[in-house]
Amino acid sequence: MDFARKLAPVAFIAALLTLAGCDSSSSKTEPNQITIHSALGAKIRGLDPGDIGDTTSALVASQIFECLYQYHYLKRPYELISQLAEDMPKVSEDGLEYTIRIKRGVYFADDACFEGGKGRELKAADFIYAWKRIANIKYLSKNWWIFDNRIVGLDEFREYTKNCKKAEDVDYSREVEGLQSPDDYTLVIKLKKPWPQITYLLAHQPTTPMAREAVEYYGKDIINHPVGTGPFMLKLWHRGSYLELVRNPNWRGERYPTEGENGDLKKGLLADAGRDIPMVDKINWMIIQEDQPRWLQFLRGKIDASGIPKDNFNQAIDLQRKLTPVMKRRNIHLEIFRDPSTYWLGFNMEDPVLSDNKPLRQAVSCAVNREKYIELFTNNRGEPAYGFIPPLMKAYDPAIKKMAKTGYNPERARELVEEARQIHGAELPVLKLSMPGTDTVFRQIGQFIRHNLEEVGLKIEVEYMDWPTFQDKVKSKSAQIFSLGWIADYPDAENFLQLFYSKNASPGPNNFNYSNPEVDRIYEQVAVMQDSPERTELYRKAERIVIEDCPAVFMLHGVAYVLYHDWVHNYKPHAFGYGLSKYRRLDQAKRAAYESF
Amino acid sequence: MTTYIIRRLLYTIPIIFGVLLVTFLLFNVVGGDVSAEIAGKAASKETIEEIRREYGFDKPLFFSSDSQFIDHLKNAVTFNFGRAYDREPVTAKIKRGILPSLSLTVPMFFGLLIISISLSLVVSFVRGSKWDTAAVVICVAGMSIPYLSYILFGQYFLAYKWGLFPVFFSPDLSPVQYVALPVIIGIVSGLGSNLRFYRTVMLDEMRSDYVRTAFAKGLTTSRVLFKHVLKNAMIPIITRVVLAIPFLFLGSLLLERFFGIPGLGYLMIEAIGSRDFRVINAMTYISAILFVIFNLITDICYALVDPRVSLD
Repeated sequence: MDFARKLAPVAFIAALLTLAGCDSSSSKTEPNQITIHSALGAKIRGLDPGDIGDTTSALVASQIFECLYQYHYLKRPYELISQLAEDMPKVSEDGLEYTIRIKRGVYFADDACFEGGKGRELKAADFIYAWKRIANIKYLSKNWWIFDNRIVGLDEFREYTKNCKKAEDVDYSREVEGLQSPDDYTLVIKLKKPWPQITYLLAHQPTTPMAREAVEYYGKDIINHPVGTGPFMLKLWHRGSYLELVRNPNWRGERYPTEGENGDLKKGLLADAGRDIPMVDKINWMIIQEDQPRWLQFLRGKIDASGIPKDNFNQAIDLQRKLTPVMKRRNIHLEIFRDPSTYWLGFNMEDPVLSDNKPLRQAVSCAVNREKYIELFTNNRGEPAYGFIPPLMKAYDPAIKKMAKTGYNPERARELVEEARQIHGAELPVLKLSMPGTDTVFRQIGQFIRHNLEEVGLKIEVEYMDWPTFQDKVKSKSAQIFSLGWIADYPDAENFLQLFYSKNASPGPNNFNYSNPEVDRIYEQVAVMQDSPERTELYRKAERIVIEDCPAVFMLHGVAYVLYHDWVHNYKPHAFGYGLSKYRRLDQAKRAAYESF
Repeated sequence: MTTYIIRRLLYTIPIIFGVLLVTFLLFNVVGGDVSAEIAGKAASKETIEEIRREYGFDKPLFFSSDSQFIDHLKNAVTFNFGRAYDREPVTAKIKRGILPSLSLTVPMFFGLLIISISLSLVVSFVRGSKWDTAAVVICVAGMSIPYLSYILFGQYFLAYKWGLFPVFFSPDLSPVQYVALPVIIGIVSGLGSNLRFYRTVMLDEMRSDYVRTAFAKGLTTSRVLFKHVLKNAMIPIITRVVLAIPFLFLGSLLLERFFGIPGLGYLMIEAIGSRDFRVINAMTYISAILFVIFNLITDICYALVDPRVSLD
């Protein structure tokens, strides 16, 4: 009895450990399976594509779901090719009607939501259902912006849903004039006005088709049960911890691209040209939010590819921006590529101090030393920004650096401060900068900005807050200056110019609450234009006007550094492409050799 | 005793109410609106308003029959915490996190308790010697090192450099494998403060007359220490031990995050970061209830181990 009592805690602990391990029993690695091992730096919020608004969830969902179009994996500049569509859309002469033929023989993955558990064939109606679902206001999708005021009748459908009590009450059989399926394999989209970017959006994750059976079967739990047509399907998901995808046996199959850009052949990126994909059986994603374990797991070979944490940058990259000998000895490879991103300190143009005082805004812009900022806070993983269009975009203006007069220039900043004082009519008040985080790095950035501004005679108070509070402050127009940025959704500068369109003011994406009739006019003009030299020139013109008005201190454009192990093949960075795991090839022998190393 | 228990249980009502009020004030009044964050980067005004309606943020905070605070109280009383802002039911999140958290905190708790009490008995027995001084110095040094440093060093040296443990959780590892290092780190980091506390408790007892008498009667050292001293030192030990039990359910915020153990500590840190009030509320409420219950158990235990304590 006494012995049993003493043993009780041990038995209790053993029972706990056994129970805690129950969930993982089904995920043991089978010996001959080729598995991609990846890490995610943030949690997956949900795998319902209509509501995905974060890159982590999109990265995972894009292996399971497919869109009408996809980006060519290797070609640059970025080029769209068909995915679920048979070919590129047939566009009417006035640019208002898109007819898209859908591939036959595309099947959803097998799932309990279908009759007999067998995935059924994809139909045009699945797209219409998915888009109406995004329009349903009760569904609270983060992606309504894609279709807002674009498709004939869809806004009216959204209006109708406002009168429904809950999302489930919405009648999806209700006709939308602009979304028609004359037969199961044809989709006709009628637009309110020309929308040349539509094809990019049809390659954007949220526009993926949804099986109505799945949505109705799983209800609100659809976030945990993705049912797609893609090359992989969900096998196991322990939320907040790990996720496992396996090959979808119903996938129709694709071949590895046979063409690429110059240099791809030499890099070995065409070695698998024409081969059936995917070349792996499984993808394991671990959610590792802290830098140290993620980095150590990569060095141990437990993760195939990784970014470089700020604190480990010097361990991996030397002063010539090349791999250090330590990394080379491990046969680690490096890819450096530009992000389609711009980061800024935005001005609230409705703020009484800032709105009528352009010299004050320009003074702040001229006071901030971008190069030092990039060196201190990004390990030089960035390029100073002079405008909002990133260098990756076709509309990027190489002359912008010379034209922009709001780059780092403390002398000019001091003159502008004087001018600003005269306009203000008194001593300038203390400015307020809102930062979207409270950790050490945010505090260091805040101190850096404050120091820069003090150097030219400006005073600024920095407020640190969590992301939801920050969002609320910016969206409710109560932030004066805020640190934010934008990563393009597709390779068209329109995605950036919309941020300065007055009708998109907060809570819309124009967080600057910037308004200039000329910029609005150009935006409305370019938004309906097909790609042309004239359109590119208009983008540049709009950018110059914005820079002159100075609604933001454009800080930097991101540059990404990615490391991957020698056993990973066909690794080519893509700024817009998701669902790229299907192209990877892994050399199991090299991986095994590294593990013993 | 029954009257006492009933009285104490009644006392819990205002305490729990206070906890619910403070959490509500912190996140709904001081914290502000999270609708814009839920709505996404390019949300329209109408979507944000719809979210406010859906989550009840458009209702008055107080002073109305269907105010946000009344809803908050109703949800707590019925244990219906609804769905988190990422649309997953809060209860499902908590249920999923309990076992991983306990698989980490329970071995850590027992390990720490057994090691620190045993060591404290030894150290207090050799009080005044160089061993005692060394132990105190090590304890103070151990307490001065930040918790995060133990994790970073332990993970880097024990797991990565020397390969004694896995660096991070992996689904093909057994729980014993992935929990071992965080448990060791938890024990080592907590040893300083625990040992110092129990040493003080034991020293108080060692100076008592009955110890000298016991030794004079020829009892062995182990019998004096483990049979008599330990038994008499139970009151402070019980206080510390029983009150620590509710916290086992909360998991360990940092250890879980650094070692990928998907427990309740991890969940709490995520919820605080995204200001998911529904998750925070559920966790705080459950913790408060557990804390109050274990407080009561502590008092009952006093009466059981010490005949001088009466609960009437």
